[in-house]
Amino acid sequence: MFRPTRFPPSLRQLTVARTSRGVASVTPKLPEYPHGNLPSSQSPITSTMHFFNSVMDSGKQIPTYRIIDGAGQPIEGAEVPELDRDFARNMYENMAQLPIIDDVLYNLQRQGRISFYITAYGEEAAVIGSAAALAPDDEVLAQYREAGVLLYRGFGIESLINQCYGTSLDSCTKGKQMPVHYSSKELHFHTISSPLATQIPQAAGVGFALKRDPSRRGKNCAVTYFGDGAASEGDFHAGMLLASTIPSPTLFIARNNGFAISTPSTEQYYGDGIAARGAGYGVHTIRVDGNDVLAVYSAVKEARRRCIEEGRAVLVETMTYRVGHHSTSDDSFAYRPRKEVEERKRLDNPLVRFRLFLELRGWWSKEEDDALKARIKADVHAAYKKAEALPRPPLSEMFTDVYGGEQPWNLRAQEKELKGLVRKYGRSWEPWKAELKKFKGEGKEWFD
Amino acid sequence: MATRAAFSRLAPALAHARSARSVGLRLARGYATQSEHTMTVREALNAAMEEEMLRDDKVFIIGEEVARYNGAYKVTKGLLDKFGEKRVVDTPITEMGFAGLAIGSAFGGLRPICEFMTFNFAMQAIDQIVNSAGKTHYMSGGVLPCPIVFRGPNGAAAGVAAQHSQDYASWYGQIPGLKVVSPWSAEDCKGLLKSAIRDPNPVVFLENELMYGVTFPMSSEAMSDSFLLPIGKAKVEREGSDVTLVAHSKMVTHSLEAADELAKEGIKAEVINLRSIRPLDIETIKASIKKTNRLVTVEGGFPAFGVGSEICAQIIESEAFDYLDAPVERVTGADVPTPYAANLENLTFPDTPVIIKAARRALYRSN
Repeated sequence: MFRPTRFPPSLRQLTVARTSRGVASVTPKLPEYPHGNLPSSQSPITSTMHFFNSVMDSGKQIPTYRIIDGAGQPIEGAEVPELDRDFARNMYENMAQLPIIDDVLYNLQRQGRISFYITAYGEEAAVIGSAAALAPDDEVLAQYREAGVLLYRGFGIESLINQCYGTSLDSCTKGKQMPVHYSSKELHFHTISSPLATQIPQAAGVGFALKRDPSRRGKNCAVTYFGDGAASEGDFHAGMLLASTIPSPTLFIARNNGFAISTPSTEQYYGDGIAARGAGYGVHTIRVDGNDVLAVYSAVKEARRRCIEEGRAVLVETMTYRVGHHSTSDDSFAYRPRKEVEERKRLDNPLVRFRLFLELRGWWSKEEDDALKARIKADVHAAYKKAEALPRPPLSEMFTDVYGGEQPWNLRAQEKELKGLVRKYGRSWEPWKAELKKFKGEGKEWFD
Repeated sequence: MATRAAFSRLAPALAHARSARSVGLRLARGYATQSEHTMTVREALNAAMEEEMLRDDKVFIIGEEVARYNGAYKVTKGLLDKFGEKRVVDTPITEMGFAGLAIGSAFGGLRPICEFMTFNFAMQAIDQIVNSAGKTHYMSGGVLPCPIVFRGPNGAAAGVAAQHSQDYASWYGQIPGLKVVSPWSAEDCKGLLKSAIRDPNPVVFLENELMYGVTFPMSSEAMSDSFLLPIGKAKVEREGSDVTLVAHSKMVTHSLEAADELAKEGIKAEVINLRSIRPLDIETIKASIKKTNRLVTVEGGFPAFGVGSEICAQIIESEAFDYLDAPVERVTGADVPTPYAANLENLTFPDTPVIIKAARRALYRSN
C-alpha cells in the first residue's frame, strides 16, 4: 500500500493521536525503561514474551460502574450525585412515561394504524439518565430507540405521535420519514437514519463543526447513541477512529441491550464488549450499569465534561437489557424464553430501582405513581385520537425538500404532470375524490 | 503508455502525463486565438477551491493525502500552506469515516469538500453519500440541509484495471437529492466546482484523471473569481446541422476530434458537452435533435442503464422522437470489467474512430 508520508505509519499515528494535530516537529516523550523503547513509540522493550487479551492490567473484564442496587440503596462506597427533588422527580417521570407511550404505540402498529414502531422497554434509565446529563443544546445523533431524549427536551407526546402517523402537523419530518425517525432542529436532535450506524461518523463531523464554531466551542458536544449491534458495523469503527484522529468533542453512548435483533451480544462480539474497543482508539471509556439511572447520569455527566474540556471523544457503554422485541417486525420469543424476559423485568427493572430510591427519600409515592401513569395514558390516547382525525400532509409536499434552493426542472415536470392528472380526475373520479380528502387542503392548491 | 506500476492505492497521475499532454496540445491549438490565458484542469480545480475557501471560511477540504501530500493527484496543491490544517484535513484511510465526518460537519453548518482518491474507493462510503447526504434534507422535512461536494477522479484511468476504472455517473445520477456534475474542460471545472461548493445540496463532482494535466484556454471571464457555471446546463461545444454527438467528461475530447474528422467529409456534427448528469439538460439535446435529426451518445461508462440509456429513453418519450431520422446509437465502454493489458484496455473504451463510425451509421454513410 502506497503511503506518501514522511513518517513510518506507527509514528504518524502516534503524533496525530497524541498531539493537537499533525505537527511534524512533535517528539514523543521517551520515558526511561531498562531496555529502552522503540524509536517510533513509547512501547518499552521487554524480554518477556507476553500475550494479552484484555485492556485491564488485571486481565479481568472491564468493571461496571453502579451507584444504587435493586432496592434503590447506594452500594458500598458509591457517591450519589447531587440531585434536588424536582430534578430527580422529573427524571423519573420521563422514564416512567416511556413504557406507557410504547404500550399504546406498539398496539397501534399491531392494529395496522401505523406502519412501524420501536419500543425502549428496559432501556429507560440508559436513555433518560444520559439525556439528563447533557446540555439541552448538545447535538444528538440518535439511533432509533432514544425518543426519551427528545421527550426529556420537551418534544411532547403529540409531536411524537404526529410523526408516527405522518400527519399534517408532523413538523419534524413533514410526513416524509417512517415512524420513530424523529427530527427536531429546535431541540438539536438530528434526523434518524435507518441504515445502522451511519450517525456515528457523522457525529464526529458534527463535533468537528462545533469545535470550529467560536460560539459553541468549549460549550457543547455532539452525542451519538447506538446499540451493541450497530457497534459491529464498520461505521462504528470509522466514527471512533475519525473522532480520535481528528479530535472533536464527540460523546459515544453505546446501549448494550444484549441483542442485535435476535443475535445475543455473546455472538455479536467475542471480546470484552464495546468498552474494550475504546482504548484501542485512545478514547476515554467507561462501562456503566445501564439500568441504574444515577450511574448513567453521573458517568455521562463526567464523560461530557471530559469530552468538552479536552475536545476529544469519550465512550460510555451502558449495560442494559432489551425487554421488548427489537421492533414491530420482530417477535423475540422465537429466540429467547419468555421466562428470561419476565425475570429480567422483575429482578433488574430500572424504573423500580429508581422509584425505590425516590421513595426512600420521601420524594415519590404510590399515589403519585398511579396518577402519573393515568395522566400519561390519557395524554397518549388523546394524542393518537387527535392524530387519526388530522389530514395528511398536502399533496404538494411530495416534491418539496428534495433539493434546497431552486427546484430542478425534472421535479417541476413531475409536479406539473401530477397536477394535470389531479385536475383532470380529482373532482370527477370517485376513488381519487375520496383519496384527496385525506390530504390537507384536499389538493385545492392545485385546482386554483 | 508509460509505466505500469503496481498500484493498489497508488496515485497513477504521473504515469499518464504523457498521453494526457498530447491531447491537451491538440486542443489548445484550436483555441489559441480566443484567449491568452490557459490553465490545466488540475489548476482550474485548485483555483476554484482556493477562491471559494477565501470567500467563505466555512469551506474546508477533507480526505486522504489532501494536506501534506498536496493530494494524491496534486489537485489540492498549496492549499495546506495557504489555509492551514484546520481547513485542509488529512484523514485515516477510512472512506466511510471521513465521508461520514464530512456529512456530519455539513449538518453542523460547515461546507466540506470531501475528496476521494478516486470514486472507485468512494464505493466504501456510498451509503453515506446516497442514504445520508442525498436523502436527509427530504427526510427531515427540509430542516437539515447537507451542503457538501464529493469530488475526485472518476471513470477509466489507464493501466489500472477493473477496480480502478469505472464511471459512476449513472450510479449517482439515479439518486433524487444528489446533484451530479461531470466536467470536461478547465473552464467547466472552475465554474462548476465553484457552483457546487456554493450549492445548498450535496453535489457529486466527477473528475477524470486523464484530464488533470490537459491545458485549456480560459476566457478572461473564467479567470475571474466570480466565475460560476450553472449546474444542470449543457454546453454546445461545436455547432452543426447533420448529427448530434452528446458526451461528458473525457469523451467530449474524442467527440470534438470526431467532429473535426467528419467535417473533412462535409459532415457537420454538433457536439454537446453535458457538464451535468443530474439534473440532465435534456432540452438542449432535444433542440439539437430538432436541427440534426440524428443522435449519438458517447460515454466512458458501461452500456447498461447508463447515461446514454437515460438520454435515449428521455428522447423517445418526448416530442423529439418525431424528429429522429435514424436509430439512436449509444457509444459506451465495453460490457466487461476493465482489463489490464494495454491492448485489451484500449479496445474497452470508445475512441475517436469509433465515434466517427457511429456518426456515419446515423447518417447511413456506412454499414
